[in-house]
Amino acid sequence: MPRPSSDDPRITLDAQPGPDLFEAIPPYPTRTEREAEFYTLGDGEMFLNVGPQHPATHGVLRLVLKLSGEQVVDVDPVIGYLHRGVEKICENSDYYHVIDQVDPLEYLSSLFQEWAAVLAFEKLMDVQVPRRAEYIRVLTAELLRVSSHTLYMGFLALDLGGITPILYSFIERDEIVEMLAAVTGARMLFNYYRIGGVNGDLNHEFMSRLGDWMSRAAKQTEANATLLNENEIFVRRARGIGVLDRETALRMGVTGGNLRASGVAFDLRRAHPYSVYPELQFNVPTREEGDSLARYLIRVDEVRESIRIIDQCLHNMPDGPIMAKLPRLLRPRPGRAWAAVEGPRGMMGVYAISDGSDQPFRFRIHDPSLLNLETVPHLLPGNLLADTMAIVSSLDPVLGGIDK
Amino acid sequence: MSFATRTWTRMSIPARLLAIFVPLAVVLAIATVLVIVVLGGPFVDFLSANLPLVRFLVAATAVLLMTVPTAFVIIYLELKVIARMNLRIGPNRVGPWGIAMSLIHGFKVLSKEDFAPTGADLPVFTLAPVVTYMASVMSLLVIPFAPGLFGQDFNIGLLFFFAMGGMTVVGLLMAGWSSFNKYSLLGGLRSAAQIVSYEIPLTLSAVGVVILAGTMSMNHIVLAQSGSALDWFVVKQPLAALIFFIAAAAEANRTPFDMTEADSELVAGFATEYSGMRFGFFFFAEYVNVFIVSALIATLFFGGWTAPFNWPWPYNLNWLDFSNGTLWIGIAVIGSIIVTDVLAVLVRLFGGRGWNMPSAMILGFIFASFIVAGVVGLAGFIAFDWVQGLFWFMAKTYAFVFVFVWMRGTLPRVRVDQLMGFAWKWLLPASLLNLFVTAAAVVLLSR
Repeated sequence: MPRPSSDDPRITLDAQPGPDLFEAIPPYPTRTEREAEFYTLGDGEMFLNVGPQHPATHGVLRLVLKLSGEQVVDVDPVIGYLHRGVEKICENSDYYHVIDQVDPLEYLSSLFQEWAAVLAFEKLMDVQVPRRAEYIRVLTAELLRVSSHTLYMGFLALDLGGITPILYSFIERDEIVEMLAAVTGARMLFNYYRIGGVNGDLNHEFMSRLGDWMSRAAKQTEANATLLNENEIFVRRARGIGVLDRETALRMGVTGGNLRASGVAFDLRRAHPYSVYPELQFNVPTREEGDSLARYLIRVDEVRESIRIIDQCLHNMPDGPIMAKLPRLLRPRPGRAWAAVEGPRGMMGVYAISDGSDQPFRFRIHDPSLLNLETVPHLLPGNLLADTMAIVSSLDPVLGGIDK
Repeated sequence: MSFATRTWTRMSIPARLLAIFVPLAVVLAIATVLVIVVLGGPFVDFLSANLPLVRFLVAATAVLLMTVPTAFVIIYLELKVIARMNLRIGPNRVGPWGIAMSLIHGFKVLSKEDFAPTGADLPVFTLAPVVTYMASVMSLLVIPFAPGLFGQDFNIGLLFFFAMGGMTVVGLLMAGWSSFNKYSLLGGLRSAAQIVSYEIPLTLSAVGVVILAGTMSMNHIVLAQSGSALDWFVVKQPLAALIFFIAAAAEANRTPFDMTEADSELVAGFATEYSGMRFGFFFFAEYVNVFIVSALIATLFFGGWTAPFNWPWPYNLNWLDFSNGTLWIGIAVIGSIIVTDVLAVLVRLFGGRGWNMPSAMILGFIFASFIVAGVVGLAGFIAFDWVQGLFWFMAKTYAFVFVFVWMRGTLPRVRVDQLMGFAWKWLLPASLLNLFVTAAAVVLLSR
């Protein structure tokens, strides 16, 4: 590490403590016009650095807030603290290994990344997936959606200062990941979907845990949601905060629950159906308000719909193989494929190009959290510091996916 | 010597502290006694000549000593109650049911590094926890715990209390300013705005009580409520009690009004840069504040140390002459021996196999101890009205402490503007209305 020169403004910190210390320290030198504008303080303004280590940031998001009193004037979200180069790693691993590389992207909903990758590869190789495998995929993925949404509700409450709902959420999530662990072998990074099917059939432990959970899931979800829905303080803090209107949402490429909370009934499961979703009956809940409360309520509704889907999956589950017949070494024909699934946070997409070798030539991951998070600079200014958490948390970003 | 060294190195930190402080305390106690004996006459004369001063010193020391165990109890209560509300178990490792958990917290805080950031205003930074803590402790001086058990009976007791409550904000503001941290600064400013705003409805709602009682002395306010639960001021002043409760929650920086240390916004608010025992002082002060506002609610609106119903039977025991102490000690000793033997024989007869006489005696002794302790406690409870008063006072106070803990487990945090809006738009008009109605009623009824 080079020794800092004495004219670097950052090292005057311990040289002379005094009023100089209160001056802002910009990235040195400022790289863009926007950065120069942002790091010029107006009258009575100050910077507040929230993150990457802060009790309320999700993962390692860093928000540099320009505050005037308690009011947020401007915000500069800084991402990239969790960058691991997953796309490049995927391009250097063969098609089977890609699946466990994409697992830790959005670590709360790993099956959806696997699904997107597997779906893209199946398109690339023209594989017909057995119907039982498709049903198993839908079943496990919807379970994980419930888990992710439940955790979202808890964390939203935690960021608003309520400490109890998060533990109720974790109880639900724990039951779900335990039952998924029974069938996949892992609690978090499942590595379960395979090109052409799934790895391992449903077993007795999974079914018994699932039956146990389903017997009270709907009731328990309602009870957990009631903790917040009917809490006057929570509703007042979330209502009318961070309103994302329909046009902005569409222009910014927002997907998932955040888009549906702005009144656009766009759900990939209905808009571009994949797997066996056309055979299943469920609604796409939408809301018109586009504020934090709407984004929260959309999740509550989606949990209800997911429980409906799980119920239908259990009733319609066909017998049969769970894997298509595939060669050991996969060498798809040169070509390109795009596949996207509706994850808990929105459109989880994968764009894969094959050059005929056993490794993808290009593996591009489209993560919904990134586009959702990009609306933060539009939503925050004008709100109070406390609303920062209500807004960012309600967008449900997962930094593992954003930083890739 | 090597034995002593080896023992020392094997001691845990608390044991080392005890090993230092216990002999020191013994030596100091002996020295004090010697000094009193040697300088006895003039010293006692001086003390008796300045009785109020002595009373103040003793009360201040007692109150100071009381705060730490109180904070420990409330911290443990909070850990355990919130854990139960969160469907967790809570602390259960240190001591039975984890009751030593907060003690361990205290030792942990003591053993941590005392750190001050570069750029901190060191004198202010150091004084801030002291100011906050002392403000809390001084408020305890005027609270009547039981008949005759209070630090000072000021005729301006309530005013003194609010003045001391206002001192807390000075400490928090000092901490926020001197920490050289923006989170601390925001936390300190929030606390200033919040506490100053909530002082007004807090005080105004208590003025109704003052009008009814005709005094600001806490003792006389309690005496004005003596009788049954129907004589408590909460019956005459329900709105004031509600306002006072809400404002007191804000005053003690409790959820949902814990703006100053909103952990999801300002990392730890004013206490962000504090560590070690400096943080410990803030921590203790927070929980002592909870106790104090609960005690004040109990005192002003729920009858303080008075019993909730007419308490007939203790006063019918005049035939028992408790003044003759030695007689009662003799009766207790002989009675406990008889009870022990009877219980031992019963255990031996009905306890089944495996109980030989010595172990039956031991078990009988344990049972008998419980019985005797219960009887003695009951006798004390009946005979000494300050024991009764303390019981009722603590029961009421901890009921409100529980409500504060319950609120923390249940409610999210309100936003700053909502907080201020609530104080100025709702609580202040409501407390003014309450004051007006009370004053009008008093004037009209006294005609």
